[in-house]
Amino acid sequence: MAETITLLALFEDLEPAAEGIERLHTLGLADEQINVISGIPVMERILGRPKQHSKIPLLALAGAVGGAGLGLFFAYGTPLLFPVYVGGQGLLPVPPAIIVVTELALLGLLVFTFLGVFFESYLPAYGPLDYVPGISDGKIAVLFSCPAGERKKFVEALTASGAESVKPAEAQKL
Amino acid sequence: MAVTAKPLSGPAAGLSERDDPGEHLMLDPRPRGEMNSLVMESMHATSWRFWAVTALLVLVVAVCLVAAWGYLIANGLGVSGANRPSYWEMFLVNTVFWIGIAHAGTFVSALLRVLKVEFRRPFTRAAELMTAFALINVGLSVFMHLGRVWLFYWLIPYPNERGLWPNFHSPLAWDFLAISTYLVASTMYLILPLIPDVAMARDRSTGWRKLLYRILAVGFRGTESEWVHLKTAMNIFAFTVLPIMFTVSTIVSWDFAMASNRPGWSSSIFGPYFVVGAVHSGIGAVVMVLYVIRKTMKSMNYFIRIEHFDALGKLMLVMSILWAYFFFNDYMVPWYGGDAFAKALQKFIESGPLSWILFTVVLCNAVIPWLTLWNKKIRRFPGALFVIGLLINVGMWFERYMIIPLSLTINRMPFTWRIYVPKVEIPLTVGTIALFILLYMVASRLIPLVPVWEVQEGQMMHSLRKVGKAMATSTTEIE
Repeated sequence: MAETITLLALFEDLEPAAEGIERLHTLGLADEQINVISGIPVMERILGRPKQHSKIPLLALAGAVGGAGLGLFFAYGTPLLFPVYVGGQGLLPVPPAIIVVTELALLGLLVFTFLGVFFESYLPAYGPLDYVPGISDGKIAVLFSCPAGERKKFVEALTASGAESVKPAEAQKL
Repeated sequence: MAVTAKPLSGPAAGLSERDDPGEHLMLDPRPRGEMNSLVMESMHATSWRFWAVTALLVLVVAVCLVAAWGYLIANGLGVSGANRPSYWEMFLVNTVFWIGIAHAGTFVSALLRVLKVEFRRPFTRAAELMTAFALINVGLSVFMHLGRVWLFYWLIPYPNERGLWPNFHSPLAWDFLAISTYLVASTMYLILPLIPDVAMARDRSTGWRKLLYRILAVGFRGTESEWVHLKTAMNIFAFTVLPIMFTVSTIVSWDFAMASNRPGWSSSIFGPYFVVGAVHSGIGAVVMVLYVIRKTMKSMNYFIRIEHFDALGKLMLVMSILWAYFFFNDYMVPWYGGDAFAKALQKFIESGPLSWILFTVVLCNAVIPWLTLWNKKIRRFPGALFVIGLLINVGMWFERYMIIPLSLTINRMPFTWRIYVPKVEIPLTVGTIALFILLYMVASRLIPLVPVWEVQEGQMMHSLRKVGKAMATSTTEIE
């Protein structure tokens, strides 16, 4: 199996980055072999990248269902476990249950959404990672894997499209 | 320059003052590295005044909050002014007041984000911080009101040897759920968009700051998948935190409204009345905080501009009008209803020994905003907005005072009527205000107050284009 190398190309702006990615496609790289790292969220189609999907809405829904279940337990389960009749109300009234279920459903939704961000992004990640600090200063990094023997071809193509630098990616402690 | 909207032509292109790019943050882009430097500089630059104020605040918190609360716990609620008939006192006034301040963050950050109002971008974090710290004060105020603080765990639903669950049919239990949900949600909503900015701070720091930011940044780099998940989550949060904001205020109002047949409290309008009042005071507080940030922190005048005060001033005017509508509603219905005790309460509020409170409420919440905020010159003068915001918050605090201890004074048993006089509540109130300011000052030096990535995102979306003979701002939808 041909040896591959991971390179990191740094671009100043969006247009050269988009052109660089197009050149990588022309040179035979698939979308899965390319990753873009940027200091602001860049819409996929601006750089000609495939649309990314997130499972976070599903996780949020699961959290909402879980929270609603907990709310139902508090609203109906606890009075059944230890009945205390209060102020002429029925033991299992509906309007207070709506309030309790709504609050806990919203809480469950948001907690699972929050945790989903970390779960889906594999964070926290404190080990060495491919990164350059210039990214947070506005540069766009294109991380890609190519056959080691064709490194020069890729470097020349990206340099021609405006890359500031194209170097082997160095995993560093962030 | 790195991923920046191209600088736009200046006044030489025939732009009017309104179109002048220098007026608008979104039309005045700078290189990302430069904006990062401005934000980092504002965190690091501390003058002797900062330390003097911090030291003073620590002293005030130590005396007026910690010591006074210790005195209250040691001696019981008898050292407060709480007594028949005003068993609910200034602690609950503070609770409702701080919930109002908390609404500022949610309103500015979530509602304006949902409505894609672009001027929100530079100050969403400042507002979200207000929410987090205000909710801490809400919790403290409720605990102070409890008296026997060590028994607060009775409100937590878990199987216990007492064989008792909290009564989930009570507005007080809904309160616990709503405020806890709001606190957790607001904290998470603060943390999520903070991560990329903390990652930036990590890249630019050394020493203990680098370690702190490294931990908080959780390894965030800005990969495509990280951004997609973050943005998806932020959208979900923005939409979801809004109903939580509404339910919190409404449920707190139901603590009062569901007391059956009590003069001044039994009103079905309390829910929306409290929500509107909360947002009204919250926006006033946001304006105050932005003024102080712009005045005291280095480089913040690039991010927080006159246009933001102008926009918030308009919002303040709208909320003032809305508040007046609900206030009149709440007054008019019992007035017309003719209930003897409701009318006695209104007479007490209008012409009793504490009638100056009603005067203050109407003056600060309606008269002054209506007389001033329609004027563009006043709205574009940050000092004036600060004063008006302060007066609104004073007015809203007294409005809650009117609703809680004043309304409790006049009940259906005239032999119990007695004017509430606060005692230890006064230093404790001062202590909570000092704690809020202290937490804010410390946070302003630890975390980036401006979400630079959001500002840059907005700047990328904005441009000027010629329409006829004029230059018009154009916004691109790139989401």
